[in-house]
Amino acid sequence: MIIYNPHHKKLLSGRLKEAEQLLAKIPAKYCFISGSFLYKEKYKDIDIFVVTRSKKEIALKTSKVKITAIDFNDLYSLFYHSVSKSCIAKNLLPQRPLKVTLSDYWQVINEAIPTLLNQKDTYHKDVRFLILYTEYFKTNEILDTFQLNEKINAFKNYRKVMDYIQQELPWIINRYAKPSYVKRFFYTQAGYYRDILYYDAQRFLYRLVHSIIGGING
Amino acid sequence: MLSQEYTLEFLGDNLEEIVALLSDTKAEKIYQWVREILILNIRPIVTGSPKAYKEWKAHQLLTFRYPFSIGNTEYRILFVKVKNSVYIEFHLGDHKYYDKVRKNLNLA
Repeated sequence: MIIYNPHHKKLLSGRLKEAEQLLAKIPAKYCFISGSFLYKEKYKDIDIFVVTRSKKEIALKTSKVKITAIDFNDLYSLFYHSVSKSCIAKNLLPQRPLKVTLSDYWQVINEAIPTLLNQKDTYHKDVRFLILYTEYFKTNEILDTFQLNEKINAFKNYRKVMDYIQQELPWIINRYAKPSYVKRFFYTQAGYYRDILYYDAQRFLYRLVHSIIGGING
Repeated sequence: MLSQEYTLEFLGDNLEEIVALLSDTKAEKIYQWVREILILNIRPIVTGSPKAYKEWKAHQLLTFRYPFSIGNTEYRILFVKVKNSVYIEFHLGDHKYYDKVRKNLNLA
């Protein structure tokens, strides 16, 4: 069993044993457990991740277990880098360089804002990618599951999440992207939102796009 | 007098089996969610992608998502409407089906 714990977080010793037993039941070389099961007395799910090429579904007869299959192509993703950063693994996990683009980040925002406004204050599960990507581009650090939960729980409500995006995004984009790219990409996006401004989510995104473009115009 | 034809397609690999599993309460919640879409109370996801989806471009589509679970299994509904048109797709499926449709729709 391999323990990845870069921040020396206190893990529950009983859970380590339980984790090892669960991983032994998974018929795959690369599998790991990440999340609150490892460090919280009260947890909702046991998140098991399996890196596999197989399309066959893996199931365990334990009600709280949630198994997520990760394709080898996903090893470059921010998601994999985050969930595997602090975890208990059956074997040494495969490492690949991170590949993440501003365009990926915008897709995450584009989907998270309507979801956030639909969910209102039951948003915690749906903003994980939004916060993960934003913190990565803001600080160059990949949050692990502990850090991500702490960051998400620090927001008092969904409005605070939206304020955070509004505040951080324009300078993040302008720090990473060339002005010509920003203009071309974001003017195009604005065009798609303009037709449906009767939705508050797209109104928010439309204004966000304009504040990004405003950042390069000075 | 103007009249407009509409098309509504119900899609999913195991759609009928999943529908049979729905309790009355869950079914009512889904009806309510669709009603909320029709009165513009649910926000859509609109991708900025110019890639094709059937005879449209991905950016012409409004996609509404509804997650729910039955027992330990998670399901998703994707309600896809073409902008300024009455063509609607109602997708219901498990995670695998959902991931496949998301990819086709060019969602993140």
